[in-house]
Amino acid sequence: MEYQIDIVNQILIFAMFALSLNLLLGYAGQGSIAHAAFGAVGGYAAGYLSAKSGLGFAPSVLIAVVTSLIAGTLASLPALRLGEEYLILLTFAFSTIVISIVIAWSKLGGAYGLLGIQQMNLFGHDLPDPSDKFPLLLVLFLIVFAFCWRLGESPFGRLLKAIREDELATRSLGKNVYAYKVIVFGVTSAIAGLAGALFVYYNQLASPQEFSVNVSISIIAMVVFGGSANLFGSVLGAALIVVSGPVLEKWVSLGEEKAALWRLLLYGAALVVLMVLRPQGIIPERSSLRGWLSPLFRRRAPTPALVPELSAAMAGAGAPAPTATSAAPENAPAFVGAAQLGAVTSGLRQDVAQDRLVQQREIGVATLPSTATVREPVLVVRGLRKSFGGITAVDGVDLDLPAGEVTGLIGPNGAGKSTLFGLFTGFLRPDAGTVLLRGTDVRGKSPDAVAGLGMVRSFQDVRMFQGLTVLENVMLAEPRQPGENLGGLFLRPASVSSSERRVREHALEYLAFVGLVEKADWLTAGLAYAEQKLAAIARVLATGAEVLLLDEPTSGVDPRWVDSVAAVIRGLPALGKTVCIVEHNLAFLEKIGAPCYFMEAGKITAKATVGELMTDERLRKAYFGV
Amino acid sequence: MASPAIATQPALQVEGLRSGYFGRTVVFDVSLSIAPGKVTALLGHNGAGKTTTLKAIAGLLPTFAGTVTLHGEPITARKANDRVRRGLVYLPQERAVFGTMTVRDNLLLGATLVTDAAQRERRYEQCLDLFPILRERLGQLAGTLSGGQQRMLAISIALMAGARVLLLDEPSLGLAPSISQTLLQTMKQLTEREGMAILLVEQAVAQALEVADHVYVMRSGQIVAEETRTAALAREHWWELF
Amino acid sequence: MNLHQFFQLFVNGTINGSRYALLGVSFALIISVTGRFHLAYVLSYTLAAYAASSTADAWGFPFPLAALAGIIVAIAVGVAIEVVVYRPIARKAGGSALLTIFVAALGLTIAAENAIRLTWGSASENLSGLPRNGLSIGDVTFTALDVISLIVFWVLIVGLTLFLQRTRQGRLITAVRVNPEMARVVGIDPDRIYLLVFAIGSALGGVAAILFTVKYAAVPDMGLDAVFKGFLVAFLAGTASSPTRIAGAAVLLGLVESLSGLWLKAQWSPLVVFSVLFIYLTLLPLDFWRPRRLVSAFAR
Repeated sequence: MEYQIDIVNQILIFAMFALSLNLLLGYAGQGSIAHAAFGAVGGYAAGYLSAKSGLGFAPSVLIAVVTSLIAGTLASLPALRLGEEYLILLTFAFSTIVISIVIAWSKLGGAYGLLGIQQMNLFGHDLPDPSDKFPLLLVLFLIVFAFCWRLGESPFGRLLKAIREDELATRSLGKNVYAYKVIVFGVTSAIAGLAGALFVYYNQLASPQEFSVNVSISIIAMVVFGGSANLFGSVLGAALIVVSGPVLEKWVSLGEEKAALWRLLLYGAALVVLMVLRPQGIIPERSSLRGWLSPLFRRRAPTPALVPELSAAMAGAGAPAPTATSAAPENAPAFVGAAQLGAVTSGLRQDVAQDRLVQQREIGVATLPSTATVREPVLVVRGLRKSFGGITAVDGVDLDLPAGEVTGLIGPNGAGKSTLFGLFTGFLRPDAGTVLLRGTDVRGKSPDAVAGLGMVRSFQDVRMFQGLTVLENVMLAEPRQPGENLGGLFLRPASVSSSERRVREHALEYLAFVGLVEKADWLTAGLAYAEQKLAAIARVLATGAEVLLLDEPTSGVDPRWVDSVAAVIRGLPALGKTVCIVEHNLAFLEKIGAPCYFMEAGKITAKATVGELMTDERLRKAYFGV
Repeated sequence: MASPAIATQPALQVEGLRSGYFGRTVVFDVSLSIAPGKVTALLGHNGAGKTTTLKAIAGLLPTFAGTVTLHGEPITARKANDRVRRGLVYLPQERAVFGTMTVRDNLLLGATLVTDAAQRERRYEQCLDLFPILRERLGQLAGTLSGGQQRMLAISIALMAGARVLLLDEPSLGLAPSISQTLLQTMKQLTEREGMAILLVEQAVAQALEVADHVYVMRSGQIVAEETRTAALAREHWWELF
Repeated sequence: MNLHQFFQLFVNGTINGSRYALLGVSFALIISVTGRFHLAYVLSYTLAAYAASSTADAWGFPFPLAALAGIIVAIAVGVAIEVVVYRPIARKAGGSALLTIFVAALGLTIAAENAIRLTWGSASENLSGLPRNGLSIGDVTFTALDVISLIVFWVLIVGLTLFLQRTRQGRLITAVRVNPEMARVVGIDPDRIYLLVFAIGSALGGVAAILFTVKYAAVPDMGLDAVFKGFLVAFLAGTASSPTRIAGAAVLLGLVESLSGLWLKAQWSPLVVFSVLFIYLTLLPLDFWRPRRLVSAFAR
């Protein structure tokens, strides 16, 4: 019996490793091969305190957790600003160095490991046997699981997934991506430190090979086998890999040493096979993998490919847009849990939503920031200049966006229009000039800061988070959610859940406004491209920003949808939004009837309606070439 | 070079082409016919699917449906390099040269699939005769050339590859109008002299109309108009097509 | 600190740094041309060493033949990984294959290490056949093998540089690296170039592994440190840099690592390497670092 309990205990400890790594790898999409190394930081800290300083179990574990939290946060600081390959490089280096240090440092026991660690101890009682340790480990495991669950399956986790899907787009919605990455790296290191400390206490030994790169790889295997972004999967994965050792040893009756080697060989090979055969199911697209191992835990509707009548009914039901199903039949829409939405959406028709949003604004109870009624310019740009290398992309631009109006920005390809949006929203740093948003100069501020001040942009290539549902995409954009920070999540759960309800309602209203409420629970990847463009408008609306910069809302859009997009954009001023659109579809701009700035070679050269601009011989030549 | 029999059939025939990226269809049922010795323009606003169409024809993007026929030979199933070998060459709108390599290397890379050394040599001289400025810059890195010179180099690369049908994506992009005009005129003459065919994607409509014999207009992934140059020029407000 | 010690460490650092240089150059070639995060480079490296030592041992191959066998195995393994693992993954995953390929490479690494332990055991394997007699200049000592290795490393690095610049195949490889789209436009088949690059990179790694084995010994986990150094050097210099620049960074790293021995015990040298990386990564996003990168990005 003790033998089996021993195995279960090991599973519990490794599950803690796997759960925390899943937050980092599965949810946030950050690859690390130093997870075991952070375990070593905690393990050796605890082991050293126990063996050399005689500190008790609880305090030394606590210190171990804090030590690895600090180590993880500090180590990740430089790499998380850079691309993902740099994090891999840095964690690789960290792993190497931790092992070298513990081997080199004679006080830590060198290559043979640190001995003389005391028993696990609870309220003054030693816990000598596996069965004595089991309750303690189980409780700690449950705490870790609950903690990770709270982080992963909450607004915080939604944000992590957004970072995994598209960092740039996440920043554009006003989220401080870098801070979130550092937090999640620090937290996962701390949990790894806890698991490492428990492991060391459990074996009463801290040895370098227990925390080598190979162990990090095995933890990655647990996460990947079980399913990334699926916490139950991580427990299962830990169980599979831990149990495979004894199974090979006893049942296949290999020697202990051989069994260990075969085990590593087999799961290494399994990892490769899995990556080759189910790639999108594992790291980048969590959805199919989540469905793979946890049909029990997550309700999931069959894909419409199997039930065409259902999807047709869904799409047809009161969709104000042109017949939705015809839009892109080749996009097999995958949607999650459709039924529960029916009740909510029945009251949310597009026209109703429009009225309601407008009303909310007028009586001032709405989420939408109140805006001045005077048509003064909200955004004032003067003398903006930007050059890349020797090429001047934006050359002294002056531009005003009057409050509550739609303004167009047209010009030939390469005139610098998208660059202008990048400069306004902090994605690019201007060389000179001012960008005044309601009197505040936003020049040189980060994209998330600019979004916080009330100006956001959309992207020409939509950049929706494909692996999240449409609703999640929109909910994510809501600013200042209490569930997006650790304090809120753990100290004010009530306010988190009430905020979550409110955010969901708002998001559904915005989706209703663009006519997509029926598809709120679809995975974004399943939408037609035009629908994604509309959803992107809902998403920028949800940020609550007053100034919306829309980059080519109709490019690549099926002609049948262009009118729907136009209708939505015409409705934005009524919500108090100030809009600027970059667009090449002139007929579309005429339909909206917006006054347009004409931009050529980095300069604004005219402002008039499309019709007027195009009757001007010179501008027409500039636009269409000489 | 073109025999009368070939001259009567289109240089390039596209029927019902559907294409896009990663399963997303961007181009729906596009049909085009390009005559040898002529310049055909494909116009339309940004995002209308013009570049996707060119890339699909060149085999650089997957064809979901439809056929592509080159000089009477079906090539829909051919890989991109097989199409190049048959004289179907696409030139992208930006970064159409190997920036950190010399002009000479760029030209030689154009002839990657040309095995006949004499032919390679002949084309090399032809290109340098066509654009004498390149002869002075042979040892210079392509990325340090001016925009216009890079365009000339890009076209030379295509000629080195033995382009019989050239898919030109926005050659005027980023160039001063006078330069791009000269360039297009050069291309026009070359086409007529050599019996080459050009499918030209342009946002600079007026420039395109000056050299194009035939015009297609694309909008939102579909061909919405097809007319001759004279008919297109006769339109009062052809920009309305966009 | 005395002068003799300085020179001895300088020589040691140069020898190690030159090995890192060859590894860095090969790794950078693979990653800059193919974009594959080829951590499974470990396999080519380790198996080359084992193939050479066991053909010499079991079949009595003379050293040149055994080394050749090792290099051939390295090439075969590298090419096979590309064809069987990376290419299918990249096909399916489209643009976002980095993490998937990375995980698969980790799987390969761990599987291979343990397959080696099962086949050859965990003890070290030796390889002889090159002169190893001691030499000295003044008080500074080294071996004939060190001299041979140094010559081989630099001949290969310079040779690779010339190959990339001067030969037709080399130009095709450079073309794919510089502008993959244009490379396809002129009819270069990227798949074939990738294979070539994997073959060259693996062969160079195999040479480094064999010389390492002659100097020390082959052990099952020898590859990890080698790949780490190659990886590190490639990123410190920039993966798209010229082989000579990468080699320069590698020698510098070797020297820093070795000369730190003037103040620290040798077992602390990994800490020095880590510090170099940490400082580099901290400085990387800063603006003063940028201008040159922007310019070079534009020159492409």
